[in-house]
Order: sequence, then C-alpha cells, then structure tokens
Amino acid sequence: MKIAFPYMGTVLVYKKLLQLLGHEVVVPPRPSKRTIDLGVKYSPEFACFPFKVIMGSYIEVCEMGVDAIVTSGGFGPCRAGFYGEIHRRTLHSLGYDVDVIVIDQPLQDKNFMQKVRLLKGQNSWLKVLQAAKLTYQLVHELDKFEKQIFRLMPYEEEPGQTKQAWQQIQTQFDQVFDTTGLKKAKKNAEEILKSIKVREVPEEKKIRIGLVGEIYVVMEPSINMEMEELLCGLGCEVERSQYLSEWIDHNLLPNPFKKSRDQIFVEKGKPYIGLTIGGHAQQTVGAVVDFKDRGFDGVIHLMPFACLPELVSQSIMPKISHEHDIPVLTLAIDEQTGQTNALTRIEAFIDLVKNKKYIKQPA
Amino acid sequence: MKIGIPRALLYFYYGPFWKSFFENLGCEVVVSKTTNKAIVNQGVKNSVPEICVPIKIQVGHFLSLAEKVDFIFIPRMISIRKEQFFCPKFMGLPDMLKHSLKYPEKVLSCDIETFTDNICHYKNYLPLTEKLGVSQKAIKEAAEEAEQKWLNFRKITQLGYPATKAMEYLEQGIRPPKVEFTPGQIRIGLLGYVYNMYDPYISLGIIERLEECNAHVTTFDMFPEVQLKSMTKDMPKVLFWTFTNRLLETGYYFFNSGQVDGVIHLTAFGCGPDSFLGKLFELEAEKTGIPFMTIRVDEHTGENHLVTRVEAFTDMLKRSKAV
Repeated sequence: MKIAFPYMGTVLVYKKLLQLLGHEVVVPPRPSKRTIDLGVKYSPEFACFPFKVIMGSYIEVCEMGVDAIVTSGGFGPCRAGFYGEIHRRTLHSLGYDVDVIVIDQPLQDKNFMQKVRLLKGQNSWLKVLQAAKLTYQLVHELDKFEKQIFRLMPYEEEPGQTKQAWQQIQTQFDQVFDTTGLKKAKKNAEEILKSIKVREVPEEKKIRIGLVGEIYVVMEPSINMEMEELLCGLGCEVERSQYLSEWIDHNLLPNPFKKSRDQIFVEKGKPYIGLTIGGHAQQTVGAVVDFKDRGFDGVIHLMPFACLPELVSQSIMPKISHEHDIPVLTLAIDEQTGQTNALTRIEAFIDLVKNKKYIKQPA
Repeated sequence: MKIGIPRALLYFYYGPFWKSFFENLGCEVVVSKTTNKAIVNQGVKNSVPEICVPIKIQVGHFLSLAEKVDFIFIPRMISIRKEQFFCPKFMGLPDMLKHSLKYPEKVLSCDIETFTDNICHYKNYLPLTEKLGVSQKAIKEAAEEAEQKWLNFRKITQLGYPATKAMEYLEQGIRPPKVEFTPGQIRIGLLGYVYNMYDPYISLGIIERLEECNAHVTTFDMFPEVQLKSMTKDMPKVLFWTFTNRLLETGYYFFNSGQVDGVIHLTAFGCGPDSFLGKLFELEAEKTGIPFMTIRVDEHTGENHLVTRVEAFTDMLKRSKAV
C-alpha cells in the first residue's frame, strides 16, 4: 500500500515508522508556494492556515498516486480534530480515490482496531512493537540534537555550517533500521556536532528566545519563515515549546512518576486560562511563564491566522508579558508570503530585547 | 446587588433563564442595551483585531455594563451534550475578559457542563453562592423557578417565533398561536447562531427583511433539541461544537426533507467552526440541488448589499416556484 502523511517538522520520523512496517512510503514534498496555492484554492476561506497547507500537501501526494494518507485526529474543541473529515470529502470531490485514515484516541473511536490492523498489515505484533520502540528512541535522539543545533547556530564561525551539519545528522538517522544502527548514527551525529566551529560568547551576552504557539506553525519551518534559523541569524539561541518527542510523551505515553514539559506548562498556564480549551492555548500561556522562569530574554508567539484557541491566548498575552516582565511578540502566520513586514518586526523586537538585557549590565 | 447580563452571545438562547434566576435571588438585573454603534466601537477597540465579530460585540457589551453594576455574569460554557464542546472562544471567554480588560473583579463566572441544552440545574450555579452571599437552598429554588420560565420561552420559539419576539411574548405572559405557513409564501431555512440571527446590528434584521419579501423563515432553535439528531447519524464523526452540530443537523434536514425552497447560511467574519460547517453545506447543496446562499457579516454596516442579495435570492425562488 502506498502511504503518505501530513508534512510537519522532522518528517523522517513518520517515514521511518511506516517504512519499518513494510509500507511503501511517499514523503510529501516540503511545503512550497505551489502547495500553499493549491491548499488555499481548495479550502474554505476561513479555515485555519495549517488546514490549507495540509490540504495542498495531500493534493500533491495524490498526484503522486498514493492509496492512503495517515493522520492524527482528535475530538475538539479545536478545529484540528475535524481536518480529516473535510480533507477526505474535498479530495473525493476532486476525484482522487484515496483513503484518509484518521487515528483517534482508542477509547472514543469504535473503528480504532480496524485502522491499526490495516496499518499493521502482515507484520506480527512483536514487529509492530519493535518498530514503534525504535521510532520512539529515534524521535528522542533527533530532538536532542535539534535543540543543540539551535543553541550553536547563532555563534557559528562559518555561516551555514550548522545548517549543513543538521542535514547531515538527519541523513545519518535516515539510515537507521535497528538498534545497532541507531547507536552508530548517534555516535556519528555527535562527531558532526563537535566539528562545528563556534566562537566564545560570554554568558551575560547570550540572548535566548523561546518560540511558543500552535504546534503546526511552531514546528514546520517551511511555513514559519524558518523562524529558528532567522532568529539564530540575528544572534539568538532558540528553543521551541513543542517537540515531537515531548508531544508523544505527554499524549501517548504519560509517565506518572515524571512530569512532562507539557504538564509543567499547563500548571503554569492555569492562573490565566482555567481549563484546556483545545489546541495548545493553555500550554502556550504556560510556556511563556516557563521560559521566563528559566531565564530566557524574550518570547515569540506564533499562531495561524484566526486560530480559535490561540486567539484567546493572544488576548491574554499583554498581561502576562507585563506581569512577568518578558517581551512577547505575537505573529499571525497565513498564506501571505511577503515576509519583509514580519522580518522588520522581528528585527526590531530582537533589538529591543538586546537593549533591555545589555542596559542592565555595567558597561 | 446589581448583576449585569450582556445582550450578546447566548443571551438569545438562555437570557430568560439567567435574568429570572438572578431576579429570584433578589438581585437587580441590568441587561445591556441592544447592540449599537458605540458598543461595537468599544468592542472593536478592546479586542484583538482578528477575533470574530460576536466576541468583539460581547466585549463591547461587557464594557458598557462595567461601570454600572457590581458583577457581570459571564458563564464558562463548556459542554451541553455528551462528548461535545463549545467553540474554544466560549470556553476561554471568562479568562479572556478577566485578563484583557480593566475589570477583572467584575467577572462573575461558573462552569456550565450538562448533557442536554437545559442548563438550568442548580448545581451548575453553586459556585456563585460566595460572591452573591446567598445560600445553596436559595440558588436551588431560584433555579427551579427560572427553569419554568426558560422552558416556556423555548416552547414559544418552537411555535415558530424568532427568539427576540418570543422574549417579548414571555415578558407579556402571552402564549401566541403557532406560526402557520400560508400558501404562496416561499419557505426559507435560515442557518445561523442565535447571536448572529437575533442581534439586529449583526444580522441587519435579516429575518424581518425576508418576511417583507413574503418568506416563511425557519431557524434551528424552532426545533426541539433532539428532534433532528438522526440527520447526522451517517457521518463517521460529527462536529464537536454543540450549536454548530445543531446547525448541521438542521441544515441536513432542510436540504433533504423538501420542506424548504431555499437555504441561507448567515455567518460572521472569522467564525472558525463555520468555515467547516459552510463547506459541508456547500457540498450538500450541490448534491441536493436546493438553492443555497452564504451571507457573511462583520462589524461594517452597509446594509444595501444585504437587501440586494436577499431580494435577488427570494425573487429567484419565487420565479422557479411559479414556473
């Protein structure tokens, strides 16, 4: 069965899982102008931006002739839980004979096992478990390296070297098919990381920026103007509030003995948003507080245009920024690709953050 | 004690209950004025630019009451059907008003979580005892009495009256006759949320305008809550916002029952759930061939476009019926 999936973040993880289960995997092309144009054309005008990008992505993989698309579901109250239904109907009305398989929480979805069996194919359950475990380890390793990359990038001696290193690391992990392979890839990746030449910067001169907001626009560089690289280019270290491994730990494998990062965010967000209102609004708000507590200098809040939960957090943002004394810049991401406006705002914001930090220090 | 209730959002569905509930508790209830230009301007000025119009208007109403009353009642609407919710903006509404405006201490809130659209059970309102300084027993009695009023209100709307009309009848204590369809009229199914259809500022009086064009208008709240539930039973997954879902059920009923000649979807600029709902209606209209029109409204007020479109739509229906 030819299978595809939505494009978000480090796609090699999803690819790996499906590959290990023996499916023929079609990796969607990285979202481009064409993807977005296609998505916008066939989506409802006021659908949120991730919906449109994924719509475009699906049309592109349908052109490549896939049989099925696997995606995650949800039961509200954020719109994302209903994406699959509308995508399926739209694709069918465009004449593509493709199955959109939505994986929901097992307890609420009566067809859950049927879907799992479909994906399981001829594999034994043991094989499935092994594949899942390996992918899980892979995600964790990749995220660890990604975090380090964006901590080194602002200080690289040769521009572009870190980016290249990150691509090499991903290629290393792409070739992993078993645990020994994973160990080897890890070792190689560490070597690559060490080879990056960085200049020494005193601790008090370092600027750290947190990236918070809705998961899709935070995790997918091709639609958020490569925000992390952009900020690194302006000399700031960057950390996101969302990583795939943490999402898995929080949603799929909650550990009763260890608080996940998301749980910490939720606790810190509670005083502002009293209960989960869907999406990541509560986490977004909590993450801002958490970044401040951990000594970050500023926060950039990304949201898709007209995202329901993030509009609530956006309304509250000025107050948090004021109460916790941390600068926050909210940017709404949509299909308009003119970047100069956003770029100017980001540069100005970073200048302010730097001034704020340096002015407190003795010359 | 003075309690303010904004004449916005779900006031047009639950207003009679809330008003009577607080009156029974001995509070003086101030309902904000019908939406006007000043209220809208205040709302637009004090909310984030891209949020939907109904929320902006709610903010405006909140501010218009803030100086006049001790508390403003902003319930947190969580769920009124099993495994279904409200739009995230409703669920975060008390937080939003508390943390983005100047009057956090005025917000009086409690969580509403039930299994039917009857939210009158007193347990929902027990968290209010402390702030209002009343006993649990008083809350229970007040809620039970107010429930009768609300049920009456719902009965009147189910006779075919728009909510605003039904509220007038309720105040006067009149039980009006059932609205009958007279032959020669065209039948329009109007799909929209109560706060869009019945706020004359947002809807620009669309119901009256349709009636002027000799149309018989039916809306979703003229049906009992569960009557149309079966309309969506074939869907693998229904929408998870209750009122959106009820619109969907009503819409599918309009398209498939042969009881209406045309369907109008009234939606507000920037409404998230409606972006999906509208798409489902479009697909269904194509399938069934029933004329369908979407009217999108926002805080701008040019009403000429509405008049033109409503007249053109009804003229078209009349002609196709005559042929």
